[in-house]
Amino acid sequence: MERWALISGLKGDLELYEQIQRDLQATRGVNTLFVLGDVISPERNCDALWDRLQNPKRGDLRPNCIYGWWEEQLLAETGFRGDRKADALRLNHGEEVVDALLRAVDPAHLRWLVSLQFGFVELDCGLIHGSSADIGDELTPETSPLILIDRLTRLDVNRLFTARSAQQFRLELTGGGIDSHVKALGGEHKQQQPVPKRSVIGIGAGAHYTIYDAGSDRVDFLKAGAKAVANGRGFG
Amino acid sequence: MSHAVISCLHANLAATEAVLADIDRQGIEHITCLGDLVGYGPQPNEVVELIRQRQIPTCQGCWDEDIIDGLNSCECSYPSQLAERRGHRAHQWTDAQLSEENKAFLASLPMTVRRERLLFVHGSPNSQHEYLLPDMDAFAALERVESSGANTLFCGHTHMPYVRELSGGSIRVKVKQAGEEAASERKLELPMRRIVNAGSVGEPRHGSTEATYVIHHEDSDEIEIREVAYDIERTCRAIVDGGLPEVFAWRLSHGFEYAERADDASHVCER
Repeated sequence: MERWALISGLKGDLELYEQIQRDLQATRGVNTLFVLGDVISPERNCDALWDRLQNPKRGDLRPNCIYGWWEEQLLAETGFRGDRKADALRLNHGEEVVDALLRAVDPAHLRWLVSLQFGFVELDCGLIHGSSADIGDELTPETSPLILIDRLTRLDVNRLFTARSAQQFRLELTGGGIDSHVKALGGEHKQQQPVPKRSVIGIGAGAHYTIYDAGSDRVDFLKAGAKAVANGRGFG
Repeated sequence: MSHAVISCLHANLAATEAVLADIDRQGIEHITCLGDLVGYGPQPNEVVELIRQRQIPTCQGCWDEDIIDGLNSCECSYPSQLAERRGHRAHQWTDAQLSEENKAFLASLPMTVRRERLLFVHGSPNSQHEYLLPDMDAFAALERVESSGANTLFCGHTHMPYVRELSGGSIRVKVKQAGEEAASERKLELPMRRIVNAGSVGEPRHGSTEATYVIHHEDSDEIEIREVAYDIERTCRAIVDGGLPEVFAWRLSHGFEYAERADDASHVCER
């Protein structure tokens, strides 16, 4: 049975990653690890964590990585996004932070970084750093459900796991609908479309991560070094 | 007051003249154009100059963008490799024909035109290349209108005119956050919004050969879809004489929808 751990926002912190790996080894049944981006940051040198992700130690749950907002900024600044540079980073944090980000990662790692995907679709779930619209898209419990339906529809998935907001939440679409009336030269067509039963799950960031059991659709929000999943605050 | 919206002229001068004459006959003074002035058709300069001369507010279409920015701007919506090759030929032909002055005009066009709570775009508020088809997911369609801050969204690009009203909507959600004992529930009432597709003046694909456009009767807030006959022979002759692929003339004369659609599973965009 599929049981996933979903983490994001490690930001170069190898010790934190090792703590999460220890947690996962002590957690029954977790067989897949997804790292939803923001492995790097300008705050520290990220090479040791980068090495570990590419070369897992014996006993590590092998990580399946996608790129996040910080990686996108680095790829843009180093010429892997055409003419586009790290404009969003430069605008929000300034030139010094752009320089710090460039220093935080050995250029030798860029080849691996550029091979990472935007997201995964596993079973009927989408796993993305931001959303299907944009890597910087911050989905939160306060985001309009109309926007959430759009993001789910774009990927055609029933569950969307997102990390960008750093929040841990599960928002379920439970009901409602909409009337659609189309008039064209060939005639008219009326339809009532119900709200699809779908969910958006914020997996958290840094020490806050999520366990998902695909068989039972159970989500557990955890913190590195805290109690095991069996005692966690999960809900089905 | 009434207001006409035209789209996807595609360098078809005879169709453009016929539609403008139809609008003039009704005494309508305000016209908005949703782009794609060029591409496929044989008179790109003439059509651009007519729009410039009439000073019709126009937003940029995907063909207008591609002529300026090159084919790299395309997100590949061709239905087959054959259609893509013909599209490339039309692009090269149009690029060679179009004057620098008219290219500069196309480059100057805005992505959107807004008039109070009416928004005019070529494809969608997100992209000139996105198709808002009449049967697309109703919530996603509403999101396009609502996120743009409009009550009514006028678009083109699909070449099929329609009016879609989205109403009576609501969404209920249950939210559970880390650290909270219980889930909370809430309900969002959705506003009524409308999408109006103006069809195509110069490249109809709604199953008929006639040019289409729409009129917004602002007093009653009603939309009228108009079909206008034009001299198809004149355009087809110019296509063949100009050296464009003859299939462009053939599909205009037959009014085939998706004349070049093919089950080509191997099609991968080269760009």
